Amino acid sequence: MLVTWKYRPRNTFIQRLDPRTRLLFFFCVIFGLTLPDIWDYRVILPLFAMSLTLYLLARIEWKDVKRVWLFIFVLVFMIVGLNALLSGRGGPASVTNTASPVVFEVLGIDVTIAKIWFALTQVVRMITMTLLAIPIPYTMDPNIYGTAFRKLGSSDKVSFTMDLAFRFLPTFARDFTITMDSQRARGYELEKVKGGIASRLRKLAPLIIPVVMQSTVTGEEVIDAMDLRAFGTNPRTWIKADDLRYKFADYIMLGLALILLVGGFVLRFGLGIGEFFIPDFFTNLFL
Amino acid sequence: MPEKPLVIDSLTFKYKTRPELALEDVSLELKQGELLLIAGSSGCGKTTLARCINGLIPRSYRGERSGKVLLHGREVADMPIPEMAQVVGTLLQDPERQIVASNVFNEIAFGPENLGLPRGEIISRVDQALSRLKLEYLRERETFNLSGGEKQKVALAGVLTMNPSILLLDEPLASLDPASAHEALEVFRSLADEGKTVILVEHRVEDAIEAKPDRLLYMEEGRIKYLGPITDLPKEIDHTQVKLPAPWVVRRVKAQGATVKEPPKPPVQERGDPLVVFEDVSFRYDSDLPFILENVNLKIFPGDLIAVLGPNGAGKSTLVKHAIGLLKPTSGRVLVEGQDTRKLSVAQIARTLGYVFQSPTHMLYAPTVQEELEFGPKNLAYDPMLIPKFVNESLSTVNLNGFAEYPPLGLSFGQQKRTTIAAVLAMRSKILIMDEPTAGQDFANYTHFMNTMCDVSEDAQSVLSANFAATLFITHDLDLAVTYANRALLFGDRRIIADGKPQDVLKDEELLLKYRVRPTSLLRLNLSLLPQTGRFLPAESLAAYAP
Amino acid sequence: MNNSSTWEFGTRQVVYGAIGAALYGVLSWASNFVPLPAAGNVTFRPAVAVLIFFGVAYGPWVGFLAGFIGNTLGDAISGWGFFWNWSVGNGLMGLVAGLVAAQIKDFRAQGDIVKAVIYGIVGVAVGMLFASFTEMITSGIDFNTALVGYFVPAFIGNAVVTVILVPILMIAFAAVASRRGR
Ligand SMILES: Nc1ncnc2c1ncn2[C@@H]1O[C@H](COP(=O)(O)OP(=O)(O)OP(=O)(O)O)[C@@H](O)[C@H]1O
Ligand SMILES: Nc1ncnc2c1ncn2[C@@H]1O[C@H](COP(=O)(O)OP(=O)(O)OP(=O)(O)O)[C@@H](O)[C@H]1O
Ligand SMILES: [Mg+2]
Ligand SMILES: [Mg+2]
Repeated sequence: MLVTWKYRPRNTFIQRLDPRTRLLFFFCVIFGLTLPDIWDYRVILPLFAMSLTLYLLARIEWKDVKRVWLFIFVLVFMIVGLNALLSGRGGPASVTNTASPVVFEVLGIDVTIAKIWFALTQVVRMITMTLLAIPIPYTMDPNIYGTAFRKLGSSDKVSFTMDLAFRFLPTFARDFTITMDSQRARGYELEKVKGGIASRLRKLAPLIIPVVMQSTVTGEEVIDAMDLRAFGTNPRTWIKADDLRYKFADYIMLGLALILLVGGFVLRFGLGIGEFFIPDFFTNLFL
Repeated sequence: MPEKPLVIDSLTFKYKTRPELALEDVSLELKQGELLLIAGSSGCGKTTLARCINGLIPRSYRGERSGKVLLHGREVADMPIPEMAQVVGTLLQDPERQIVASNVFNEIAFGPENLGLPRGEIISRVDQALSRLKLEYLRERETFNLSGGEKQKVALAGVLTMNPSILLLDEPLASLDPASAHEALEVFRSLADEGKTVILVEHRVEDAIEAKPDRLLYMEEGRIKYLGPITDLPKEIDHTQVKLPAPWVVRRVKAQGATVKEPPKPPVQERGDPLVVFEDVSFRYDSDLPFILENVNLKIFPGDLIAVLGPNGAGKSTLVKHAIGLLKPTSGRVLVEGQDTRKLSVAQIARTLGYVFQSPTHMLYAPTVQEELEFGPKNLAYDPMLIPKFVNESLSTVNLNGFAEYPPLGLSFGQQKRTTIAAVLAMRSKILIMDEPTAGQDFANYTHFMNTMCDVSEDAQSVLSANFAATLFITHDLDLAVTYANRALLFGDRRIIADGKPQDVLKDEELLLKYRVRPTSLLRLNLSLLPQTGRFLPAESLAAYAP
Repeated sequence: MNNSSTWEFGTRQVVYGAIGAALYGVLSWASNFVPLPAAGNVTFRPAVAVLIFFGVAYGPWVGFLAGFIGNTLGDAISGWGFFWNWSVGNGLMGLVAGLVAAQIKDFRAQGDIVKAVIYGIVGVAVGMLFASFTEMITSGIDFNTALVGYFVPAFIGNAVVTVILVPILMIAFAAVASRRGR
């Protein structure tokens, strides 16, 4: 078992963007959509198109994300979609408005036109956000996270924690593999562990304890190594910081992000657009 | 007039959590450009002394300190950390644990970054350090994928970028193959020649002597036992405590007029049915990775005591993991007692073949040593009536009687290592495989342990012959192969280069060097005396034959 | 383990925050491969015990960073993307557990273990409440779905893991700490 980064360098529009731009853009879209509680398909559809475009621009290979999408679809359709369909709650109150005509009935629950439309909207709205979330590990260089966070204003120490965590991840993955092998060589078989939940969890101790305890010992040495190289005594220079520079495309994207964030609020609270709304064509389908 | 780089005056230290003194009345002065070797058995206070010099004591470790430590005339305890970090550069034992960045460039730049130096200055310092150690080719690499030796050099480069005038190296040679260790020592020497004061902590005195230290400091129980030129060493230091070059041991034994031990009987080579067979084994970790093993053929017979030698990263561990079925061949097959490992689970193989991993910390988990040792036999569903007997026998074998109720995680490194071996012994397998059984332990400890295991001394009952039909160990210490093995394997270039009696395999110096094994003084002496002795012997026993 | 102040943030916290995060990330990712017990729609993620333990042993900052960064890393290497609210929820889990750190004197003592487990469970509750209920905003699910679909299974799974594994980790740590003692 070897940890491999999902990241692959590709010369794409997305990867040429500054990582800060990408993080800020991500948060602006999510907050612009969720905080003002936007449920209007006329707003969501263009955003969905935008997210999809950006996702495709990242040129992630389908085989890499197949499993993830499968999981997300199951989650979205089963938990979220089905629940919305049946209960209709969680979104705007108007969904549960009983005035909406009932299309059919399951388990004694009325499924109304409003609920069906709400479920559809909700699935698209979630996937809009997921499309932005999924590419991040595939397209952002793990070496740059710390620097990016630093330049977004987090402290030297917090930013370096990020870098250090990336540094130790493969080491601990290897330690874990070795521990697993050592215990198997002593006849330990995870597959054969039986009993109730509690005893099965307890039988994971031979795998977890060595890795965790070794890491606590490692920590003391790392602290010494960092203290001896003057960590945390001065404001740090981040050698990669100059590699992060906003370019023209970044300004465009940041501008767009700002428009989306502010736009969400203005639409909803200024112009009163963006509330849940069932288009006539949809209602007509059932009448 | 610059002051002496380092002056230590009647330094005494006690850790807060320990009743005994860790250092007692240590005094020492070092000149610019001097290379000092510090040796002594495990726990004698070497690392504690190093921590006093680099200021971690009294900053990070609590305790009572008295006396003085002056760096260029200034008390280390009063220096601000950034300044101190630019005077003393410290290289810790395990580079894996002191590298803090994911890639080489960032790792080397880490110190100057912390000092807040301007970017241009940092880059030029990094490039200087890289070219000083001839590491330019590593500049863009990930630190995780480096070999042990490369990690060590990168860590050193990271220290050099701080431009320290004193270099403190705490056991930097552990787990390097002999050639890499030699290269590292040459670098240390040249740094001293450039005017840096170098302090090298290392209990492998014989290897460290290659760096031509000006003086040696030998410690016992926190006190200085000897401080002086290297040449007087044979008189002053006990060769059973520290590994000395073989001719010195011979001289010492002769001078003492000690009764020379009767050399043990040569182990017999019985040839029965092979226990383990490798048939044309090729292996790679993944289809897009290169082959590590190519058409390897190997038979392990009852009575074999095999030492496996070879460079870092050659694939020695990969090879032996096939024997216990942790890895299955990409092509070819491995048979354990006639059965294909593909058809057996690791647990099934564990009944015949015990495998001791290199690092004890990777497997110890139980609250007591007793439970740790019961783990294997219980997993293998042995008769519960027999398990206590197996456990007790293994405990006394590794000399851990009385430790049954101790938590293994609270033991010292050497004791932990012996616990892991006992844990495998308790499984009563027929074949024992050990990956670097002596790494990170001091000389006295590991010779004791190897002697008990392999029965080189006459008085001990051999654990191996009593319990195991065959044994194989991987090592970077050529002398282990010389002293204990009756068969040596040289592994390199994806295959077994040489296989046979140690006398035959190890006599070809050129071949050894090609595979990064450096002939030791013990090997040389043994080879020259071979006509008289007829086989390889430990240094002490050679005294009887040497002129 | 002399926590001079609960909220101190120095090299020690940086290092253990990072180490906790890397471990939490690796172990969460490893649960993709290791067969783990499950009951109904509750799956158990033993890695959570490690996170709670890091909070208990090294304080709230370490707990928070280990949870936040660790969950982000775990998601990243599994390829799930970046789900910020679950990362924050995991961070809170470690943070709340970390509030007990200053009170833990002896990792072997029953009283201290019980205290740690209680804080751990409260942490699990707080963290999972945050994550589940932010799902109400981001996915627009209703309160019931958040409660039944997300919170309850996550809470039960993590609380059970905490109760069973955290004491084991603490006892093992007591032995390690006795050897290191700084
Ligand atoms: N952090 C610590 N807290 C308490 N005691 C310690 C600490 N570090 C070391 N000691 C103890 O101080 C003594 C000297 O230890 P030190 O690590 O200096 O030995 P060493 O010569 O470096 O040994 P080794 O060769 O095993 O590295 C030992 O008894 C050890 O157990
Ligand atoms: N799990 C793994 N996945 C991919 N490559 C691996 C894995 N384990 C080891 N390797 C690679 O296989 C090669 C052989 O490794 P191995 O550990 O067998 O060497 P070794 O001879 O035991 O070295 P050392 O003396 O340093 O212990 C190395 O290049 C190593 O990087
Ligand atoms: Mg030491
Ligand atoms: Mg190896």
